[in-house]
Amino acid sequence: MNNGNPAALLPLLVFMAVMVGIGFYVRRVQARGFAHNFVQQYFIGSHDLGGFVLAMTTVATYSSVSSFVGGPGMAWQIGFGWIYMAVVQVTAIFLVLGIFGKRVALLSRKFDAVTVVDIIRERFQSDGLASLAAFIIVLFFCATMTAQFVGGAKLFATVTGYSYEMGLLLFGLVVVIYTSIGGFRAVALTDTCCAVMMMIGIVLLLYYVLQAGGGYSNILANIHANHPEMLEPLSAGHMPVGLYLTQWILVGICTIALPQSVVRGISYKDTKSLHQAMLIGTVVVGFMNIGINFTGILAHGVLTDSLQSYGGVDYIIPKTIVTAMPPALVGLAIIGPLAASISTISGLLIVASSAIIKDVYLHHQAKRGIQPSAGKLRLLSMAATAVIGVVVFCIALTPPSLIWIINMFAFGGLETAFFWTLLLGLFWRRANKLGAILSMGGGTLAYCLTQGMGFKVLGLHQITIGITVSLLFFLLGAYIGKPQDEKVLATFFPNKGKL
Amino acid sequence: MSEFEKYQQICREAGWTGAALLVLIVFWIFAGFGLAGVEGDLLGLPLWAVTSSLGVWFFAIVLVKLLTRFVFRDMELTEGKGAGRDE
Repeated sequence: MNNGNPAALLPLLVFMAVMVGIGFYVRRVQARGFAHNFVQQYFIGSHDLGGFVLAMTTVATYSSVSSFVGGPGMAWQIGFGWIYMAVVQVTAIFLVLGIFGKRVALLSRKFDAVTVVDIIRERFQSDGLASLAAFIIVLFFCATMTAQFVGGAKLFATVTGYSYEMGLLLFGLVVVIYTSIGGFRAVALTDTCCAVMMMIGIVLLLYYVLQAGGGYSNILANIHANHPEMLEPLSAGHMPVGLYLTQWILVGICTIALPQSVVRGISYKDTKSLHQAMLIGTVVVGFMNIGINFTGILAHGVLTDSLQSYGGVDYIIPKTIVTAMPPALVGLAIIGPLAASISTISGLLIVASSAIIKDVYLHHQAKRGIQPSAGKLRLLSMAATAVIGVVVFCIALTPPSLIWIINMFAFGGLETAFFWTLLLGLFWRRANKLGAILSMGGGTLAYCLTQGMGFKVLGLHQITIGITVSLLFFLLGAYIGKPQDEKVLATFFPNKGKL
Repeated sequence: MSEFEKYQQICREAGWTGAALLVLIVFWIFAGFGLAGVEGDLLGLPLWAVTSSLGVWFFAIVLVKLLTRFVFRDMELTEGKGAGRDE
């Protein structure tokens, strides 16, 4: 606490103040709209995102603190094979928006849906399935948010010299405040600022790493001479082919089913915005992934000792920032990774809160014929967001080991749960309730169990098991169960003759 | 566009997006593993290191540009509300 670098704190404080300012601004501007349809306004921003903001919020929510810290640390160790693997993420944005973007937009307007769970409930006509989906979302999102809090606070402590708790307090409370106050619209706008800061951070760090390492050709000459394996795709066995394959599934293709990404399909204004966002998102996600991992490799010019001496891959980027950047700019440099962390937290927080308020509370009230007043809804929605945020914040202060286990399951677990349910549910008439329940429940269970026990097939990551089991269950259910009601199918799959 | 036409168009777009993914995977294999043995030097790096990173990125951007230009069509998102009134 005493040996902190005050110059590192100032830019961060300014940035956080701007974020909170956006939260309050959005709330003021929308004050009138809130009275009309609060739930839609608060949780999805009333279908008014333009292309640029849609692209930025999708990318920022998707890019987490580990893409900025752990990832480039691995690139430092492995070399260009790591970039080759990370670049598969250029598919993430155009796939989710191209496949689900319009489908979800049209359906949500038809049913006044605000969440992905709303759409699943309408499609499969099952409250049990909807509750299971909401439960999976809240559980895995909380674990992921905790990991983001911890990652951001650790980075803060390492780079600035202030304590872990102070970091957590500084950016953790800020993200909870602006998300609770401003809702989805504030999340989208702050995400956009965060994405811009991430890109500025990458460029800054790259510039100073090149300077401190004695220039581009000097650093590369060192790599050519001392680490030739870094210039091979398999990196002398550090990057097996199987890892490439599973990364395609885990961080490429299956990310289209992540509820925090799919829900963005409900939020945009018109199809023009969607088309723009596909292009902008692909440009930005590629820039970030290649930029930060390339910087990680070039950090060899700055950090020349062994990995052990730096304390592991998670410390490569923090050490690089401290070593290469002038002290006055350190604060600016850590805004990038912290922005990656808070933009992921805010995106998950608002979806987790919508799962509780919209998918559980409002649904049960509606079933009992109760329509809560606008004022009550407003209070409850903000309270739910704040409470989840504060709970996660407290867990992050002393994270229990269980949270790491759940977090390890989270990414692949969400993909296993939602991939076939959404893909087949929205594009295949035969998809039915039994299939979806078996697939979501059985697949997620199979994934978590095999990962918990460390069981692998052919040495591949357990996502391959999860996604296969979940598909088999889905098909099994579709063929032994009865098809959905014709009336429901007609709204999802319009016939030619019907108006 | 009628509701049915919109649905057809959306399926077509989703299909082409999937096809673009396959093309990108093939290019990705070629640009990385395919060129890994090729001698050559670009920006001070082996050829594959550049094609598999910047190359794949640019290729993806071009693919998306082609998709949005030739496959994706603008459509009204709100008028579907009126068509959902069947009871």
